[in-house]
Amino acid sequence: MIIFDDVSVTYRGGVRALKNVSLTIDDGELVVVVGLSGAGKSTLLRALNGLVVATSGSIKVDGIEVVGANAKTMREVRSHIGMIFQTFNLVNRTTVINNVLMGRLAKVPAWKSTLGLWSADDREHAFRAMERVGIVDKAYVRASNLSGGQQQRVGIARALAQEPSIMLADEPVAALDPVTTHQVMGDLQRINRELGITTLINLHFLDLARHYGRRLIGLRGGELVFDGDISQVDDDTFRDIYGRAITPDDLLTDA
Amino acid sequence: MTAAVDQETGEVLTRPERPLAARNWRIGIAVLLIVGVMWSFSGLDAGLRDVVEAPREGWKIVKEMWPPAFKTVYHRGAVGKIFESLYVAWIGTMIGAILSFPLSFLAATNIAPTALRVPIRQVFNAIRSVPELIVAMVLITVLGLGPWAGALAIGLHSIGTLGKLSTEVIETSDEGPLEAISAAGGTWVSRMRWGMVPQVLPTVIGYWLFRFEINVRASAVLGLIGAGGIGGELVSQLNFRNFPEVGAVLLMVIAMVLVIDTISGFARRRIIAGSGRKIDDDETGRTVNLIGDLGGSGLTR
Amino acid sequence: MSDAVAPVAVRPRKPRPQLHTYLLVIALAAFTVFAGRQIGFRWSSFIDIWSNPFWGRFWPVPWGWVLDRHNVLDALVETFQIAIISTTIGCTLALPIGFAMSKLTTPNTPTFWLSRTVMSIVRAIPDLLWGKLLVTAIGIGAFAGAWALTIFSLAVMVKLFSETVDAADERPLEAARAAGGRHTPAVRTAVLPEVFPAFVAYALYVFELNIRASLVLGLVGAGGIGRVVETQRATFNFDRLMGILIIMFVIVMSIEQVSVAVRKRLV
Repeated sequence: MIIFDDVSVTYRGGVRALKNVSLTIDDGELVVVVGLSGAGKSTLLRALNGLVVATSGSIKVDGIEVVGANAKTMREVRSHIGMIFQTFNLVNRTTVINNVLMGRLAKVPAWKSTLGLWSADDREHAFRAMERVGIVDKAYVRASNLSGGQQQRVGIARALAQEPSIMLADEPVAALDPVTTHQVMGDLQRINRELGITTLINLHFLDLARHYGRRLIGLRGGELVFDGDISQVDDDTFRDIYGRAITPDDLLTDA
Repeated sequence: MTAAVDQETGEVLTRPERPLAARNWRIGIAVLLIVGVMWSFSGLDAGLRDVVEAPREGWKIVKEMWPPAFKTVYHRGAVGKIFESLYVAWIGTMIGAILSFPLSFLAATNIAPTALRVPIRQVFNAIRSVPELIVAMVLITVLGLGPWAGALAIGLHSIGTLGKLSTEVIETSDEGPLEAISAAGGTWVSRMRWGMVPQVLPTVIGYWLFRFEINVRASAVLGLIGAGGIGGELVSQLNFRNFPEVGAVLLMVIAMVLVIDTISGFARRRIIAGSGRKIDDDETGRTVNLIGDLGGSGLTR
Repeated sequence: MSDAVAPVAVRPRKPRPQLHTYLLVIALAAFTVFAGRQIGFRWSSFIDIWSNPFWGRFWPVPWGWVLDRHNVLDALVETFQIAIISTTIGCTLALPIGFAMSKLTTPNTPTFWLSRTVMSIVRAIPDLLWGKLLVTAIGIGAFAGAWALTIFSLAVMVKLFSETVDAADERPLEAARAAGGRHTPAVRTAVLPEVFPAFVAYALYVFELNIRASLVLGLVGAGGIGRVVETQRATFNFDRLMGILIIMFVIVMSIEQVSVAVRKRLV
């Protein structure tokens, strides 16, 4: 369970990225977060795993307080939270399996991982993760030789290798074309259903949010302006979130 | 605006004036260069006749070098000296590479705190500004004449240049993978080992090889002051004006440098191509970029 | 994680590093050890150099001597004169030769190969050996130094410049040729404007290299500040040497700053 209680984030320089956000997310939920760029979507996700430090309030992940946690606790919390990035964040110059094994770093003693002494168990987890997203045949290929969609699946596999209970996806399809977008979103949806991993996805496109989301959270200027079931969402809701009517730019497919 | 009249229709056309500023700049710079060269020439101990005379003198010596006396220099052990130069360059590069790599992490903006970074950078700069030959001159007073002083001098000098280049590579690396490792609960060591090192190592090794090519040339010179290698042989032959022997040694130096350049160039291309970086990105951008940012890092010598 | 998922694809086998990779690593390691032995590598030297009794001789710098006009300044002026002449002439010559050395702009294949071969041989001889050769040929003095550095500038410049030309956009050149332009004017109008800023930037860089080089050129009798360096080291006046090094450090750093500023304006 994830509990945000009155969380605010102020960046150096005084930009308030999140303002008094409170929300609760149950285990196994699939939540889509929408909003304009700069609305605080990314900050919300990063506050959850401590990549961005909350200025005030409290964030509890499975009962552990994240705000103000020490480095060791933070690593422990992060080890249960997989993260997927807009720009994939792979090391392009090394193989797919080496990238996926990075998901095991928190579970292996530092000296062992530094020397690259991964156990059979770690490798097994990495292979399972790659199999789940269908890129196992690319295991020993350099990441730079893959297409964008394949690279994002390596990103998902890396997160899965952590055996996470929570998955954060920060605009996972913003760098992909429409076809691979649906493949990657499908993967995320399937993983949420099959493994019961709590999943938070930041999205820009509204139709994607409608299509894949169950619960929708809307942010505007760092404030929570909508939180509810996707079935309640209509054009007025989007107007609240975006501060204007929907335009074709907000849709993946021109409908 | 100037006016011009169309020859056929008699219509008056207005045309923009030719901008004078650019032309004035060009003329100014040209005059400055000519005056600069003339002033500089006046300071040299030479007249115009020498300018014509010098190439003739040079050519006379080139003719005297032929045919090269390979036999004589071979019996004086020149082949061994060529290899000694090679060893000096290799060990020097190794010392420079091993010592500069960890230091360059401590000098990078995206890794080290200012208190650590600034002094280390200044050390790089200071080392870079002292030529290997002068370092060798000083080291000889402690370590004695011989190739080891030369190798250590090249090694110390290489720390400065390699350190600066490696730092640049680390600073321009992609921080995405590091963030991903943080998000997975990795430690600082994991971030460096799995996020940073695989990213930068191919480029950095490329620089090591590049430095090796430069160091081979440097080590061929160190013999001038008794720090080992082929340079000493060349100098003594030149001092006795044994030009056929000079020709032979020169050809050997040229052959050594060209062979090393070819092998090292091949290896560098393999490393960059194998590392999955797009070549066109690299080949076109790289040289311009490097010089653009790092003028004076001793990249081309 | 549930274990119910059956493997979708067959797992690939880990590619073994090839035999020649191992052999290469072993060979390089063996070569390093062998080379180290040949030249008398000693770990103790890393400590010895710090305990050098000579270090005390580097300090304090006798600024009175260093800043005296006849001791250092005259030689520095000579260094600048050598650098100005050799940079200007070397870089001017490098312009046509650089074009000849690029596949994009070379008039024909023999010119391409001839210029490349000659230039790589010229570049294979280090600057100081050029200095020594020219001093032997035309006598001790700054004149020989200027010649040596002119050749050196040319060699460095053509390499950098021809690589820039290689990377230049070939479409304008195609357009100029399509318009019926002859070779030289076509290159002059279509390629030169694009590569000229880089040329100026490299020229500044070469100037800086020449200033640095003259620090050691005096060792072979080729004039400039190196002349002073040579006499001071021969008499073990390391404190004076230190002063000269500091002055050179400041000069080189200032030139670097100026050329960075100029480059920024050019781009």
